[in-house]
Amino acid sequence: MKWTVHDVDMYEKEKQYIDTAVLPLLPLTFSERAKLVAADGEFMQLITNEIERQLKGRLFLLPSFTYFLSETLDACVERLNDWTRELKEAGMSHVFYVTTDQKWKEAKQELSGALFFLPSVPFEHMDESYKQQIVHEQTSKLLNAFISWWM
Amino acid sequence: MSENKHRVSRRQFLNYTLTGVGGFMAAGILMPMVRFALDPILKEEAGTEMVPVAQVKDLTTEPQRFDFKVKVKDAWYESEEPKSAWVYKDEKGEIIALSPICKHLGCTVNWNGDKSHPNQFFCPCHFGRYTKDGTNVPGTPPPAPLDRYEYKVKDGKLYLGKAKPRGEA
Repeated sequence: MKWTVHDVDMYEKEKQYIDTAVLPLLPLTFSERAKLVAADGEFMQLITNEIERQLKGRLFLLPSFTYFLSETLDACVERLNDWTRELKEAGMSHVFYVTTDQKWKEAKQELSGALFFLPSVPFEHMDESYKQQIVHEQTSKLLNAFISWWM
Repeated sequence: MSENKHRVSRRQFLNYTLTGVGGFMAAGILMPMVRFALDPILKEEAGTEMVPVAQVKDLTTEPQRFDFKVKVKDAWYESEEPKSAWVYKDEKGEIIALSPICKHLGCTVNWNGDKSHPNQFFCPCHFGRYTKDGTNVPGTPPPAPLDRYEYKVKDGKLYLGKAKPRGEA
């Protein structure tokens, strides 16, 4: 499910079945790394969208949790935990974070949701079929990680 | 006066020319507008086209997953939507193409996805199950059998069309 009128409508009807919120953690920057960070973000959107398509009956893909790279980790963690508390109060028993930003690794213990990493892939000069293959691989990897978390 | 019968006066000439040219100009402006307005009605309904998906000789009695893309038209906006199908041949050799979309809440089902219930389609979201022919297993969440794709075979290739609820396809 996505954050659209149609899906929210469905969510309200089928609330008891939708127990998982997926929150992509999307960094922003306008420094010289902007291009790389944007590429990772794009890759993550591709994958989370594909996962949403396959598991839309149980998970709610939320708009990304965005933060500037210059923000301190502690501030990010605090804000993210606030979001997570809000989601859990709304009835989401699982909250999954998906990110390519390695800095979250340091805070893994302090987070109240489950953290899933995606590798950052230099997509820019890759040819289309190879790109598709990578997206496909990473999608099924993450998909299986989600499913085994549920089991 | 008799000359006027055969010759066109300056006034008449200008009138004719202006009407003619004006008419063409008006038509030039109106035609595309009318065409645009009628366009969605004239076009065939989106999704009626059959898409080649697999070679018939590759099909087995075990369901296999085939991915394909369908052109979707939303008024003027055209995009490609990825779709999949579980295809196999039953005992009579007839082709069955099932849509992987769970009838419960729309997740994607897998063949043999659950080790404790082999030879069934399994939905990982709420553990819904379907037998090989797509019938929902009672006691699991799905309320209806999996949709079936309309299909045709041409030159050894399998073409799939729309997925329809069972009984219609």
